[in-house]
Amino acid sequence: MNYYFGRGGAKLIPYLLLLPGVAVYFLISLGPSIATSLYSLTDATGIQGAPIRWIGLENYREFLFMGQASRDNLDALGRTLIFCLCVTVIQFVLGLAAAVILNQKLRGRNFFRTLYFMPVIYGVVIQGLMWTLFLYPLGGPMANLLRWFGGRSEFLGGQPAEAFAWVIVVQIWANMGITMMIFLAGLQTISSELYEAAVIDGAGGWQLFRNVIWPLLTPSVNTNLTLNLIGSLQAWQLFMILLGYRNGTQVLGYLIYATGFGQTSGSVTTSFRQGYAAAASMVLFFLVLAIGLPVQRFLRRREERILG
Amino acid sequence: MKKTAGATRLRLNWGEVFSYIFLILLAAAYLGPILMLLNTSLKTMPSFMRDATAFAKELNFKNFADAWVKANFPKYLLNTMIYAVSATLIYIVTSVFVTFPIARGYVKCANLLLTLYVVALFLPPSLIPQFQLILNLGLYNNPIGYILLFLVNPMGVMILVNFIKTLPRELDEAAALEGCGYFRFVVSIVFPLIRPAIATVVVLHSIGIWNEIIAPTIYLTNKNYYPITRGLIVFQGVYGSNWPTLAAAVLMLTAPMMILFLFLQRYIVSGLTSGSVKG
Repeated sequence: MNYYFGRGGAKLIPYLLLLPGVAVYFLISLGPSIATSLYSLTDATGIQGAPIRWIGLENYREFLFMGQASRDNLDALGRTLIFCLCVTVIQFVLGLAAAVILNQKLRGRNFFRTLYFMPVIYGVVIQGLMWTLFLYPLGGPMANLLRWFGGRSEFLGGQPAEAFAWVIVVQIWANMGITMMIFLAGLQTISSELYEAAVIDGAGGWQLFRNVIWPLLTPSVNTNLTLNLIGSLQAWQLFMILLGYRNGTQVLGYLIYATGFGQTSGSVTTSFRQGYAAAASMVLFFLVLAIGLPVQRFLRRREERILG
Repeated sequence: MKKTAGATRLRLNWGEVFSYIFLILLAAAYLGPILMLLNTSLKTMPSFMRDATAFAKELNFKNFADAWVKANFPKYLLNTMIYAVSATLIYIVTSVFVTFPIARGYVKCANLLLTLYVVALFLPPSLIPQFQLILNLGLYNNPIGYILLFLVNPMGVMILVNFIKTLPRELDEAAALEGCGYFRFVVSIVFPLIRPAIATVVVLHSIGIWNEIIAPTIYLTNKNYYPITRGLIVFQGVYGSNWPTLAAAVLMLTAPMMILFLFLQRYIVSGLTSGSVKG
């Protein structure tokens, strides 16, 4: 590209000014991200000055093939997949439905949009504490609702599977607004003439959706699926706020944090096994690749087929 | 209400009825937790114990005063603000100098550099080596080290690059002909012109810092350095069973976010959906 601001040495000025930002990015984010693969081959701890030794694939072997602990790890991996599947599918469907409905001229449309989007900016701490209170088992709103139908539940303090299901609910509740807004942005690019033409041709609501809206929404569909798949595979913070490190509910992300930085449950604090945690990070990374890449390729092919 | 191009005109009545049923059911799930929080924050402890859901009759505003003092709110709020303001300021300035030459192609390998920001989404979590780095730099439990963590945000880079690309190149040429240097051009011409994008990134980035809970849990052990989120979790640990006071504390943290959002909704939404339409 033509550079207008001088010749020779002056051409270096952009590089010089770009350097701080890029250097910090490499140092704080990109470098550490890549270095995770190296740390996964060591017995690093979180203790300053402690020696770090290479132990090859030992961490991976222990993570995947050693007794009860590795069975727990594989359970966490399975749970991560279930979490990802449930969150992605439900959030996608709800977000799409909300967007299509709120793209109509309805009374109170802006109110609903704002309301659904609001939790996105709360952050996990507020989201988690709000729901802990909402699911208060002794006469809280959800407990009362359930009692009307003759049910009882401990919600977050109940069986692991049930507690886990509630985290899925809160995760969807918290992030559905982004999915909806991305769909709304996509819907707004569809020209109103197309709708009118379709309606004049006698298309009903469903046909309008199936033949006009759905294909033209392809770019937002792709963005949402990619963001939600990867986001939910890596998500774990709500587990920390809502449940703590509880057996039978852990997902990979939380397991990485807990093994890397120690986790206090009761009076027992586990040690900082950062090499091992780095290996777990790599397992999560491979999971993201194994799911993300084929989905990406599928979505791109589909987009080419539909939009040409 | 504004007319939006592309609003569907489903004239069928049942369609509208179904729409409202869906919207209201969903709204209940969104309003419920907030109303419960508000209601609880106005109750006394005995009345909460008697019936957690019943409407607050006594309007016990003392909860807020209690939480404000006991949760050490003023101190933690100040910390959060210091972190958010300083990190966002440095981040924005450095990022504009990164994104402008990338968007313009004034540096070699501009596309490669941009790709390195995009792939961040897919890469392994940087948690462990990042901790080792901060530890070995001697910045563990240090506000400077904490701020350092927030000088990075790939999404903001995307938003800025996309926006700068819409500025006409002739601008650069004309300014250069007038004898304007690169640095001065970026500072006094580019900065003002990309204000909308900067506003979006500032809002998104500082919300991220405001809400962060993992980094303070990992990196800050000294209570004097805690940001407000960490303070709230500590407060929950101590007053976890005293929901009225805890609810007041949570609400005091939520309210500013809600108000901020109502004013800055446009920037937040445009930032989070940017790039999604083109795919």
